[in-house]
Amino acid sequence: MPKKEGDNRAPGQIPENERDYYLERRYPSFGNLVPRDVASRNAKYVCDEGRGVGDTKLAVYLDFADAIKRLGEDTIRDRYGNLFEMYQRITADDPYKVPMRIYPAVHYTMGGLWVDYNLMSTIPGLFVLGEANFSDHGANRLGASALMQGLADGYFVIPYTIGDYLASADLPKTSTEDAAFQTSENEIRDMTAKLLGIKGKKTVTEFHRELGMVMWDKVGMSRTKEGLEEAVGRIKELRKEFWENVRVPGNPSQLNKNLEFAGRVADFMELGELMARDALERNESCGGHFREEYQSAEGEAVRDDEQFTHVAAWEFTGAEQTPKRHTEALAFENVKLTQRSYK
Amino acid sequence: MSEMTLKLSVWRQENAADAGKMVDYTLPGVSEHMSFLEMLDVLNEKIIAEGGDPIEFDNDCREGICGMCSLVINGIAHGPEKRTATCQLHMRHFKDGDHITIEPFRAEGFPVIRDLTVDRSSFDRIIAAGGYVSVNTGNAPDANAVPVSKEAADKAMDAAACIGCGACVAACPNASAALFVGAKISQYALQPQGDPERARRAQRMVDQMDAEGFGACSNHAECEAVCPKGISIMNIARMRREYLKAIIS
Amino acid sequence: MAASTSVSNAFRSTIVKKILMSLTGLGLVIFVLGHLIGNLSLLFGPEPFNLYSHKLMSLGPLLWVIEIGLVAFFLIHAWNGISVSRHNRRSRPVRYAKTGDAGGPSKKSLSSVSMIFTGIILLVFLVIHVATFKYGAYYTTVIDGVEMRDLYKLVYQKFHDPLYVFGYTGVMILLGFHLRHGFWSAFQSLGTNHPRYSGPIYTIGVVLAIVLAIGFIAIPLYTYFN
Repeated sequence: MPKKEGDNRAPGQIPENERDYYLERRYPSFGNLVPRDVASRNAKYVCDEGRGVGDTKLAVYLDFADAIKRLGEDTIRDRYGNLFEMYQRITADDPYKVPMRIYPAVHYTMGGLWVDYNLMSTIPGLFVLGEANFSDHGANRLGASALMQGLADGYFVIPYTIGDYLASADLPKTSTEDAAFQTSENEIRDMTAKLLGIKGKKTVTEFHRELGMVMWDKVGMSRTKEGLEEAVGRIKELRKEFWENVRVPGNPSQLNKNLEFAGRVADFMELGELMARDALERNESCGGHFREEYQSAEGEAVRDDEQFTHVAAWEFTGAEQTPKRHTEALAFENVKLTQRSYK
Repeated sequence: MSEMTLKLSVWRQENAADAGKMVDYTLPGVSEHMSFLEMLDVLNEKIIAEGGDPIEFDNDCREGICGMCSLVINGIAHGPEKRTATCQLHMRHFKDGDHITIEPFRAEGFPVIRDLTVDRSSFDRIIAAGGYVSVNTGNAPDANAVPVSKEAADKAMDAAACIGCGACVAACPNASAALFVGAKISQYALQPQGDPERARRAQRMVDQMDAEGFGACSNHAECEAVCPKGISIMNIARMRREYLKAIIS
Repeated sequence: MAASTSVSNAFRSTIVKKILMSLTGLGLVIFVLGHLIGNLSLLFGPEPFNLYSHKLMSLGPLLWVIEIGLVAFFLIHAWNGISVSRHNRRSRPVRYAKTGDAGGPSKKSLSSVSMIFTGIILLVFLVIHVATFKYGAYYTTVIDGVEMRDLYKLVYQKFHDPLYVFGYTGVMILLGFHLRHGFWSAFQSLGTNHPRYSGPIYTIGVVLAIVLAIGFIAIPLYTYFN
């Protein structure tokens, strides 16, 4: 980063003593090898300070010059070639020559459907695997942990548990004549008709973006009580407006992705509010959840293991009803809970 | 940030039964940093605001790895950039005032569902015909229990890079799916894990490919040129060897 | 694992059709090459050419075997070619409004997209060609006391008919186009693609196409202008 705000020089033009290697400065022993949640939070902080680079001012530099000097371009190409290629497609910058401009992006919600030990959800026979379930999460959720869960669930768990379920469960034949099917079908028909019938002024995309902004600012990498309360209120308003003023074009009898998208954004608004509520309840900083009120003098996450060594699972109690929070205690047998430090 | 105004001719088709036609649009305010799909998003927002129905086009990850995006742009599947899926094609490769023709992937095996969206489930049926390996149930095998040479692993990986987008079919003058099927057969044929079903797989997948109405490969190699993953037609040659071995064994 | 599909089924597969076309195509390339070398004797006057054709015609039953083989090769090649081409046409019922070339590793060219057209013209030419010379006017001549067919006279006559000469020249250019894509394509269809050999095979195909086309064009033009 340039030290000064509003420094518009090209990265190569900024002399060494006018650069701020903020991760190396704050985390001397780990530098830019700190975990992603820490790196992401810090990237956002420096951009919030107004020191972001590029056209959007929402970016920090990731410079591979030293690494290329040390290991050679071929080694770097071998390790990151595909990522560099993707980056070049998007930005038209060559990351082998010019520092990359990076910024954290929402990638994953760090949560999912509650499942039992056999990966079965609260609906009998509905098994939830991989990222869709709640079971394996840490402070980060990318590459290695996603693969780990994919392998663990898909390779080691489900081949045993689903077979056991199919062998032992009584599974009577059901047809589309079943009352439950009729109810669901009618609900979907009603919702489709409702969405198409609003014929408001704002497009689904506009709502999606507004919701995204609220989530990003208030329910993202760094959260506060005030921000979360504001988010819950804002999402409620947005949801109300959505059901009064959304414009979904087309008709229900043909391929209509905008309609599908509208249904998804409606879901996102419920999920977004739930996430804000959950974050509001958890008065500690833990893993991907960082509450600014609960941090050490050094800016590290401070947990409250007394109160929160549990998983919170929320029960849906009906549309526009406050969901119910259930807790499931976490027991650690082989590891001791400690405070991490990257200083 | 430079902005451009584009003239777009887009294929519009209500549904499979509709004849369809090209419709012209003028789109101002296109940023060079937009991806091609983001440009279409902007056009769709404009169409919706004007009371029309948005253009349906397939897309999902927009990172060039899922294989959902398609489009034939100015006569070239996935547009003018080499080894680039439409979602990774950026508007900086076009200039102000350009006239861009956008059509769906066209093939008997890819019937149009609506506008630019085509039904590519024929690929799923080809995979279902043989694109799998049998694994014994019970304990998961130890890692490295089945040795694979680096060379074979690399070649298999190159074939497995196929994201199944179908650009090969779209670009082929014969609408042949040979590159897709070749890549899928190759990724298993190159590794010991694929051995048990090897002959059966080659035969079933090729037969399914023909049954889906895809054309025969005449070795134009246009597929390799448009493939976002640059998959080589060497995999087509391997498919033929595998098939030949299968029918004479 | 034994093959589950029957042999008759396999012959309906596009891959097997292309393999048959490749094998017959490569066989025909060898024939055409031999034909050209034999025909070059035309450049040395009536005697060498008539002796050469007499020798061929005296092969007896062997000639029959060769001729039947050639007819079979042509028919298999043409039949499968037409069948595959019809299949390919059905594979894209709605054409593109705008077509482009992706360039790069693509080998799509005028020659590759016109195979069916050049092929059909060559087939028609072949019938006319055989009718003109094999079943054309039977002149005789005596060389070294042996009476034999004076095929040279017939060729000489035909190669002084401007319509025939330029028609022939045109068709031979198309033969070059057909082989330019056909030769390397045959190897690819047979499943032989190797990082080391495919490049040279492609180049050989181009050279072969040019050599054969020029060779076959040179003879009538030389005869016509002399």
